[in-house]
Amino acid sequence: MATTLLVTGASRGIGYETVRRFLQDSSPEKGTVDKIVLVARDSQDYTDALVELEAANPRGVELAPYRADVGDRGALLELVDQLAEEQGNIDFLVNNAGYTNPVPLQQVDFSDFERTMSVNLYAPFTLVQELLHRGNQFDLIVNIASTAGITGRSGWLTYSASKAALINMSEVMREELAIYGTRVVCLSPGRTATALRRVLAPTEDPSTIMQPGDVAAVIEMLASPVGKYVDSANLVVRQ
Amino acid sequence: MYSLLLLNGGIGARAGAGQPKQLVKVNGLPILVYSLVAADAVDEITQIILNYPDGWRQQIEAIVADYAIRTPVVYVRAGASRHESVRAMLDVATEDDVVIHETARPLVTSADFSSLVASEHRNVSLMLEIPFTVAPVDPESQRVTGYLERSTLRNVQLPQKFSTADLRDAHAFAERENRLFTEDATLVAVAGHDVRFVPGSDRNIKVTTPTDIRLATYLLTGGDEA
Repeated sequence: MATTLLVTGASRGIGYETVRRFLQDSSPEKGTVDKIVLVARDSQDYTDALVELEAANPRGVELAPYRADVGDRGALLELVDQLAEEQGNIDFLVNNAGYTNPVPLQQVDFSDFERTMSVNLYAPFTLVQELLHRGNQFDLIVNIASTAGITGRSGWLTYSASKAALINMSEVMREELAIYGTRVVCLSPGRTATALRRVLAPTEDPSTIMQPGDVAAVIEMLASPVGKYVDSANLVVRQ
Repeated sequence: MYSLLLLNGGIGARAGAGQPKQLVKVNGLPILVYSLVAADAVDEITQIILNYPDGWRQQIEAIVADYAIRTPVVYVRAGASRHESVRAMLDVATEDDVVIHETARPLVTSADFSSLVASEHRNVSLMLEIPFTVAPVDPESQRVTGYLERSTLRNVQLPQKFSTADLRDAHAFAERENRLFTEDATLVAVAGHDVRFVPGSDRNIKVTTPTDIRLATYLLTGGDEA
């Protein structure tokens, strides 16, 4: 049966690298998918990424790109309606889209805190809940959290809080979705060379830290047959 | 194909919480969810007949909708006894065969339903050996009246399956004889039909008391696999 992967935040970083990995060869021990649904906000990055991915698609995996801001609940609900109509069952879901604007407590603008929670927490929740309501049966859900959600970091209040909530929500999802045989893994990368990391640590040399492709390799492993033996409430990936 | 008669009607305070016991939650989920999801994954079950305690229909329907149960569900108000509930549910069964289950057994699996359906016999119940001794008594005088051979007795479990015609005939028989039965395998057998049993599992417990809820939670969350 055809297997479909959905990746949010697919235009760059971990999301982009995840899509790229799943496009590669399909030996049985790897997690193979027949179709990849990509979700990201409209941007030149995304348009370029789609061109690059189409060019690096030796197996001819079907790519179904959608342009939506998952932090906009109305747009997300519209997207789910479209997905249900056009894409059929989503087997693997990677909730990767992330947002941060790191400022100290006194400088937090509440609407920005809400935006952080919308993208990092409510979007994964809404995608899973709305797809379940439509009868979707997930094989695997990977929620990308952060080591900043395990230990709070000074100056990163909104981001740390949103990722802590995502880690906890993943534990509940994991228990509740066991009735369907769905695996839920929360993956917390440490410092990874992504655009979001540049916002958090603008002076860091990205070549010295973990690369998004390394995280993507772990996601690929989780979707592979051996992935079912990985039983962890919160899988930490760091250099 | 099969109609599932899913008993969900008994109102009792035994499991506490001041709700009908089937609306009690096990590991945070309404207990009926477990049986609904397990049955929904079985292709041969093409109709679910779910009963509801008086006054609870809306809540039960909302749960079925929230969990996107794909098999068509028909709602029937619970009767005064299990015997009456089954009879009322039988009236709306559309398939040639039925499976009977109760939501108070949340550890049932899709495989349990599938193996029952796959049995070559038409009327089959899951049953368990009895690991303890039971005695026939006269409750009035508190006198022990004899001996029961344990090896010829079984603990009756659910799910069970029956030919719809046989089960209807058995319920008509009970009505003629003016008898109430506490479950259907013995009713169908007493009415003269061939009923077989297959070994059940001691995990498939009936959740009745708060202790049962804790035990079911332990089993559902893999506590026994550590």
